[in-house]
Amino acid sequence: MYEGVAGEAPSLKHPFGVEDSGIDVFSEVIHGTRNDMYVGLVASLLTTIVGISIGAVGGYFKGLISDLVLGITQIFYVIPVLLLILLFARVFSILVFKGLGLTLIVLILAFFGWSGISFVVRGETLRVREMEFVQAARSLGAGSRRLLFRHIIPNILSPLIVLSTLNIAGFILTEVVVSFLGFGDANTSTWGLILNEGFPSVRTEWWVSLFPGLAVVFCVLGFNLMGDGLSDALNPRLRE
Amino acid sequence: MKMAQKLLEISDLRTYFFTEAGVVKAVDGVSVDVDNGETIGLVGESGSGKSVTAQSALRIVPKPGKIVGGSIKFEGQDLLVKTEEDMRKLRGPKMAVVFQDPTTSLNPVYTVGKQLTDIISLHRNLTKGEAQKSALRILERVGIPEPEKRLKAYPHELSGGMKQRVAIARALSCEPKLLFADEPTTNLDVTIQAQVLDLLKQLQKELGMTMVMITHDMGIIADMARRVTVLYAGKVMEVADTVTLFTVPKHPYTEALLKAVPSVAQTQSLDVIPGNIPNLIEPPSGCVFHPRCKYAKEICMKEVPPIEKVSEGHYVACHRSRELKLEGKGS
Repeated sequence: MYEGVAGEAPSLKHPFGVEDSGIDVFSEVIHGTRNDMYVGLVASLLTTIVGISIGAVGGYFKGLISDLVLGITQIFYVIPVLLLILLFARVFSILVFKGLGLTLIVLILAFFGWSGISFVVRGETLRVREMEFVQAARSLGAGSRRLLFRHIIPNILSPLIVLSTLNIAGFILTEVVVSFLGFGDANTSTWGLILNEGFPSVRTEWWVSLFPGLAVVFCVLGFNLMGDGLSDALNPRLRE
Repeated sequence: MKMAQKLLEISDLRTYFFTEAGVVKAVDGVSVDVDNGETIGLVGESGSGKSVTAQSALRIVPKPGKIVGGSIKFEGQDLLVKTEEDMRKLRGPKMAVVFQDPTTSLNPVYTVGKQLTDIISLHRNLTKGEAQKSALRILERVGIPEPEKRLKAYPHELSGGMKQRVAIARALSCEPKLLFADEPTTNLDVTIQAQVLDLLKQLQKELGMTMVMITHDMGIIADMARRVTVLYAGKVMEVADTVTLFTVPKHPYTEALLKAVPSVAQTQSLDVIPGNIPNLIEPPSGCVFHPRCKYAKEICMKEVPPIEKVSEGHYVACHRSRELKLEGKGS
């Protein structure tokens, strides 16, 4: 990583300043961007896949399966996720998956983060499955799998895509919290880790905290706006 | 008269919905025969069981509904013993449904072309291009102008009448032998209604299709159907050929339905049938129609009237059908 004089204030040469360790903050934020995007995108992708599968099954099939799925989803929805993420991150990184690094965080986030999507998918599936076009497709020979994947899920994609996009921001934020608290992967540079390193000297070397903080803010804002934009773009009624 | 082969034979069908409030007997002992090539009418108010009868024939009754009794035979085969897999192969190429509201019966996220080719390629081994061609032909057939352009349109870009034509095209895309038209014109403008009915008649002739017209509109029945089955609260009230039913109805409910049809020459106010369709969880004792029947006597409250033959092809379920002189429509 690009280095400069330890503790140097922002200048043309080091626009975000330099850390105590002598590392240029700008270059560290850039590295952090890559790693945080990886966390947000992959965790959101995983939760979307898991959430759709579980939610769709729970919404489409009635009876015992539906109740069971709803119960499991509710449990995952109400547990204090952040505490468990911190616990799992610490325990697993020491004991089991030493070499996984950031991927371990992604897996933990995804494991605890699918219930929101699942709820939306379940509710929307319950709504859409009763619509006449589903019955119409069934009356023309479509089976369960076809009804679910060709007719129900495409009709609930808009809210899902919006939610998944917002989830990217959410997972990045959670990762920032985890790293900031020192529970993340200490060998991978993320925005949270920079914030963690900059925190003790935030009064004097403010630039170490400010710039990664701004990166988080713009990133989260960006994904929120993207979610809005996608929801408009995906609405066939607004498509010309 | 030549005995045509029965295409569909429903006898003593019972389809109940097991809801939390109780068992709703939506269809309770309905029998309907459909000959090859004819159009029959199923008439009744909302909730009389006419749509559920059609759903039962295709075995697509939504949960918590279940067929609990009776038999349904199609081309001589018992449909109630078929596997879901086999039923799926029948739906489309053998039997199809046109639904009431084309705004909800077409999938909003797919283009017209996609909806048609989806069904066509589900049942036939065609290449994408062939399916596309087939979709184009069927759109032409249902009288859609500029069909190439419409293939790429989304349902919301079409008018109500056009949407219903697309829905009809979709139902006919695999050339079914039997078409259930479930109130296909109820949600359309009056002028469009006539067009759609004409289209159905014409298509039926061209394709040699059999049709079951489900409606509450006696006018449509007069226009379309050769024979009629009148349903009320999940039970058959009267069966007759259309002319007989209109001129000499034998059931008070049929009479009431006929009187509820407005005509141009009418001078007095329209007769409405008092009351609502009964609660099907606890249907009225005796004849289900007795609480709303102006001719009801004591026996009607106590005993369920059996279906009796009035004349060839004319059956009625009414205790007083012999004594009553009921009024039909003049024409």
